[in-house]
Amino acid sequence: MTWLRRWWKRLMDFLFPPETDKWLAVLRIGLGLQVAVYALFLKSDWNYLFARTGSGLVSRELGEAITSFDSRLIPKLGWLVALGGHIGIGEETVLSVAWACLLCAGCCLLLGLFCRPAAIIAWFLHLCAAESGGLLAYGADNFMTIGLFYLMLSPLPDRYSLDHRLVKTKPKDPQLLGFWRRVLQLHLCFVYFFGGLAKCLGSGWWDGTNLWRSMTRPPFNIISPDVLIRFKYLLPILGISICLLELGYVFFIWMKKTGSVWLVCILGMHVAIGLTMGMYLFALVMIVLNLAAFGPDFGSLSLAYRQRFHAVFTKQLTP
Amino acid sequence: MGAKRIYAAWAGVHFFLIAAVCVAGIFSLVADGLTILPSAFDSYARKGELAAASVLGKEMAASNPVRRGIATYLDAAGSQSGYTFFAPNVPGYHRLILELYYHDGRVEYDSPHVSGGAAALRLDSLLDRLAEPGYEPLREVVVKMLAFSVWQEHRDVEKIRAIFGSVNQPGIRDFEHGKRESFQPLFSFDFSLRNKENQSTTR
Repeated sequence: MTWLRRWWKRLMDFLFPPETDKWLAVLRIGLGLQVAVYALFLKSDWNYLFARTGSGLVSRELGEAITSFDSRLIPKLGWLVALGGHIGIGEETVLSVAWACLLCAGCCLLLGLFCRPAAIIAWFLHLCAAESGGLLAYGADNFMTIGLFYLMLSPLPDRYSLDHRLVKTKPKDPQLLGFWRRVLQLHLCFVYFFGGLAKCLGSGWWDGTNLWRSMTRPPFNIISPDVLIRFKYLLPILGISICLLELGYVFFIWMKKTGSVWLVCILGMHVAIGLTMGMYLFALVMIVLNLAAFGPDFGSLSLAYRQRFHAVFTKQLTP
Repeated sequence: MGAKRIYAAWAGVHFFLIAAVCVAGIFSLVADGLTILPSAFDSYARKGELAAASVLGKEMAASNPVRRGIATYLDAAGSQSGYTFFAPNVPGYHRLILELYYHDGRVEYDSPHVSGGAAALRLDSLLDRLAEPGYEPLREVVVKMLAFSVWQEHRDVEKIRAIFGSVNQPGIRDFEHGKRESFQPLFSFDFSLRNKENQSTTR
């Protein structure tokens, strides 16, 4: 019984470490930038991608029908279009308003204005777009949803937001801040462990073939194959490094001696993916999530800060 | 303490579901014989995949509220699929070539296109999906929509032949020996646009 209690206490200590809200500020600003860039990148194609049958690239309704097969409760742009229809607003206008709202939500997150409503609106609208355009979605969409989901649930606003400066909000419970950061950290460990494991199971990552294939196939062929071929002896080393980096993330990111090295390597990998393959949105969201989860200088609280928070909360809890 | 327990319980359920999704993804790769593991593992992996899928309620009826609840939650959390991007190997890419037949006998070639790079990446992602066996029932419908999007810019086109195929990339050695990518048609569809009829043929 004592063993069980000790185990439970350890689990609670692990899940609820006291944290400052710096990581949350990084997540909010980073995702705000991500949402704004996402909206701006898709500006010229937004209506074309999400229009109904016959007016766009592929039918939004088809994507939504596939999504509805899993569950009808998953948010989609069709809901907003139907709502607009009831009050006499056309599809094109509704889609444009949705795009504008998404951009506004991104800017609000960036500034820290109306943090919670902005996070909820950004999550909802992005999820609607990702699900309605399910056939056109790719990895970056999943990671944006993950980030916005956690951001929406985290104890906003943080100290660096305009919300905090305009309306002096009370400091958030450091243990609750620590919990949400821990959840993000654990999620990234899942992402890299299973991503790394799947790569290790493919022969092409051990001999550099997969790096060659990924960097020479459109639309990722930013570097000419003629240039890439000069580094052919480096490709197997880089391929194996990626496998080990991802697979080892779950272990080495937590250790004091290796944590910062692993983080720098992972960030370097995502910067390289962004620059050499043109996957800017994917690279940005991964960098933001990693910085928020394991970023420098906010891994542990300084004693003074911890004491200050403790004093505030002791005062609040005392009747 | 009560609130902490609720948070801890939520985290437990949340990561249990994510783990099930990830494990199902890995088992699926092994079961499909896409990995370096010996084929003896395939049947065990298939069983594992089914077990993980049943944890996610996918063995239940489509209308089952538990199944729908889990699916909705995972979609809302962005965790409905695993993290096996570019794994275990980088797949080949695909191309859709549209032959546009004009009334006066001219033939032009085009492809579905979008304005921005971010949307182009999504279009490529769609084409790669169409080659997957799971998308076979949707293939003709989606290709028809893509052909229709191009037809809107060429209203005087009488017929469109959509040729979907994979592009074979040369390996490092082949590239050094001067080999370049080649297009391998997989199937084609004929869409007659004037009389709103379409015929399809698969190669």
